Amino acid sequence: MSDRQKRIRNFSIIAHIDHGKSTLADRLLENTQTLTSREMEEQVLDNMDLERERGITIKARAVNLQYKAEDGETYSLNLIDTPGHVDFNYEVSRSLNACDGALLVVDASQGIEAQTLANAYLAIDADLEIVPVVNKIDLPAADPERVRTEIEDVIGIPAEDCPCISAKTGVNIPDVLKKIVTDVPAPKGDENAPLKCLIFDSYYDSYLGVVVYVRVFDGKLKAGQRIRMMNTGAEFDVIEVGYMAPFGLQKATELAAGEVGYITASIKNVRDTQVGDTITTVENGITEPLPGFKQALPMVYSGIYPEDGAKYDDLRDALEKLQLNDASLMFEPETSAALGFGFRCGFLGLLHMEIIQERLEREFNLDIITTAPSVIYKITKTDGEVLYIDNPTNYPDQGEIAEAAEPMVKASIITPVDYVGGIMDLCQDRRGIFHDMKYLDSTRTELHYELPLNEIVYDFFDALKSRSRGYASLDYELIGHKPSKLVKLDILLNGEIVDALSFIVHTDKAYGRGRKIAEKLKENIPRQLFEVPVQAAIGGKVIARETVKALRKDVLAKCYGGDITRKKKLLEKQKEGKKKMRKLGSVEVTPEAFMAVLKLDE
Amino acid sequence: MKRLGLYLHFPFCMNKCAYCDFYSVVNYDDVERYMDALMLQCEDYATSCEPYAVDTIFLGGGTPTIVPEKQMQALIDCIYENFNVTIDAEVTIEANPATVTLGQLKKYRKSGINRLSIGLQSVCDNELKALSRVHSYEDFEKTFKMARKAGFDNINLDLMYGIPEQTMDSFIKSLETVVELDPEHISLYNLKIEDSTPFGAIRDSLPLPDEDIEFAMYEYAIDYLTRHGYEQYETSNFAKKGYECKHNMKYWTCQEYLGLGTASHSYFRNTRFSFIKDIDSFVSAIEDPDNSDVITDENYTISPRERVGEYIMLSLRLKKGINVTEFKRFCGMDFEKMFEDLLPPYVSNGFMDRTATGYAFTAKGMYVSNYILSSMLDFSSEIDKNIANGKDK
Repeated sequence: MSDRQKRIRNFSIIAHIDHGKSTLADRLLENTQTLTSREMEEQVLDNMDLERERGITIKARAVNLQYKAEDGETYSLNLIDTPGHVDFNYEVSRSLNACDGALLVVDASQGIEAQTLANAYLAIDADLEIVPVVNKIDLPAADPERVRTEIEDVIGIPAEDCPCISAKTGVNIPDVLKKIVTDVPAPKGDENAPLKCLIFDSYYDSYLGVVVYVRVFDGKLKAGQRIRMMNTGAEFDVIEVGYMAPFGLQKATELAAGEVGYITASIKNVRDTQVGDTITTVENGITEPLPGFKQALPMVYSGIYPEDGAKYDDLRDALEKLQLNDASLMFEPETSAALGFGFRCGFLGLLHMEIIQERLEREFNLDIITTAPSVIYKITKTDGEVLYIDNPTNYPDQGEIAEAAEPMVKASIITPVDYVGGIMDLCQDRRGIFHDMKYLDSTRTELHYELPLNEIVYDFFDALKSRSRGYASLDYELIGHKPSKLVKLDILLNGEIVDALSFIVHTDKAYGRGRKIAEKLKENIPRQLFEVPVQAAIGGKVIARETVKALRKDVLAKCYGGDITRKKKLLEKQKEGKKKMRKLGSVEVTPEAFMAVLKLDE
Repeated sequence: MKRLGLYLHFPFCMNKCAYCDFYSVVNYDDVERYMDALMLQCEDYATSCEPYAVDTIFLGGGTPTIVPEKQMQALIDCIYENFNVTIDAEVTIEANPATVTLGQLKKYRKSGINRLSIGLQSVCDNELKALSRVHSYEDFEKTFKMARKAGFDNINLDLMYGIPEQTMDSFIKSLETVVELDPEHISLYNLKIEDSTPFGAIRDSLPLPDEDIEFAMYEYAIDYLTRHGYEQYETSNFAKKGYECKHNMKYWTCQEYLGLGTASHSYFRNTRFSFIKDIDSFVSAIEDPDNSDVITDENYTISPRERVGEYIMLSLRLKKGINVTEFKRFCGMDFEKMFEDLLPPYVSNGFMDRTATGYAFTAKGMYVSNYILSSMLDFSSEIDKNIANGKDK
């Protein structure tokens, strides 16, 4: 181990949601005086508004802290933050692979929860040294002793002398820094071996091109080197290397084995720098990449349309900009009879979809309409042709289909035993096939199910959380397509099919879902001058019908004492409401209607 | 000489009806001070109204008849002194049943008031009670007969439909009873539940008639009243020939009117303005000229575009609707061309009639007129912007 390596610690913070991960990160920054408290903006690492609001980290982030320890040495601590949602599990595992240790933060009153465990296992899988930290000891209900014992019993790691802190008030934060130095192993790796780096994040900067966050395992990375991304095969000349200082990039002469830092190489597209890929030199490089790389493939597709058709180009620009930073976002133009010109977009999961949607609305000020998410169906036609359908509009007629198959996942759900019954009911309801159940300890179990992806992309995660009071956690992986009885369900408003509302569903669910959608739509279609029938149909057969009654009364009886302004204001307010409506044929529909039909379980 | 309508507001009531969201108070302590302020305001506007002949006066409220006779007489004298009131002016006072005496009515008549508007609402006492009116039907009948005796030959009755507990049968009874009394004018208002009222707070528990029944009442009334000699001339107003309310017609035909008193509205010299809704602040502002800038609430000039919108909105309240030739003369625009996409479906679906001269709402269209007007017109944010500008001054 080089002297340099002795003074490096690469770690991440993992925790159940709301146990104080981001607050602790802030305190570490403050305590290493990387930032003074006055300069501190709350939760520096989560710097997207959206992240701060949802209290989750969406993209991984990293920051370098300079810590002067009691032994007089200055240590270079690299904190690598991780996303906290199953949609991004792959990113989490890559981020953890860039570390040597992990702070496992546990709430002193709530104790270990499902995500604590799920994250701890991810860290153990990545061979990380786990450093438990008991947080929120300032709370009245805090019981640090009980939680320490729990950590030892349930996870099986010693916690006797683990720091008990309050990230909120700042109590005992220095203990955490000490522990990072003493307990997280210094990185190993041979500076003189051929270059081996892991990409764990990247983002697009309009001046530098793509900035790639890497962990160097072997060798040295410096400007001028010709490098190759081993999985994508892309080659670049390194222009700059350096560290992630809290206030920005800090240029360095080289990054050596064990270090975490960034490189720039005039890379135009984040697609060339995919998370999990291995970087080596073109000359004298390694031949075997780091294990575990996966192409980030969208699992969920939906149409995104501008509410105002004239904003189509703005939407395209916005998607292009988002894509610069998000290799997993895919999009291509599509048209809908109901919604006009828009884009078919591919996402990692529903959260990813919601995030993109919200970013389009907030960061780009676009009003958009999103259609029901669809997975990719594999259709074998009677003439032998195989189609992959991600848009219900392209679904062939039932008569032309020899076999329809839908994507399946292997799901693992960790839950306190109390909620097993409810969760099994949920999986059953979602057409899950039970595989097995394991007790992790006396209070926790792990369930394995095979589930159709289209049953979990909508609201499965929410349903799981609500049935387990937030304790259950979910992980899943795609295991391929399986034949299934599928039909295309069409929605008709005023007798006309609204293509943007069609979706593909299992036969057994078609009737129930058709009825619920008709009900939901009825709530989202304001009364208009004529009666509007809302129908759900398979092929030509109507399976559900609701009616939005015609508007009967909308009149101001009296303009009292010549108060004309009031009437104008009233009409104006009504006009505003109408402008928000989307016209589908002759029917006005609230933009929420498209989203409301997705969330049928509430 | 230009014509002007004059409105005076009397913000006092014996009690607040549970549905009413107009400005009034139940405390009479300030009546005298308020009446003095009103007279001062008449004097204030005397000069700017010099070029105008006032041909309608409307004493509204609240309940104007609460004001002591002497003070009312003084005010009327003051109006005649300060404005050029025409000899045949229509002078209306609003009255609530059981709040006036025969003597009072006779004095009103003598002082030049020639039209009486009585708030009856319903002939069914249970419905009057549900509306928290303070009178019974019997009280009303006495008042009506007194009014005739006092010499009022132009009387309006307010009726209401959509009242809690009201049924189709009880509504028909109200109509028949009222027509029997043979007033010159009938206003038929639909009860609207406003959020700011006691009714608004209990909206969901009110035993209101079904919307379809309400519409049936409206249609029935139009038919019944027409057959009995009352022509519908506006959304909510019916009159025997020649007895249309001239003052209210000014509102629908974009004529000028000046409203005096707290919470009153004016359309005067191309500006819409209103005075603040608070007796005390209003009176203080009148009494102390240094405070005069706080007296207006809304105050904005009408842009040409907005005037067109108002013209359409108001004309379509009238039964005869919009006259396309007059419209063209008014603003130079082609009404049919402006709404070429909207008008044909409105006509073919029975919301509007293509009349000999233009377009008018049918009963069905009138009933959803806000919806239709909000599709046709766009007052945009111009209103608020203008109001804000007015306040800056």
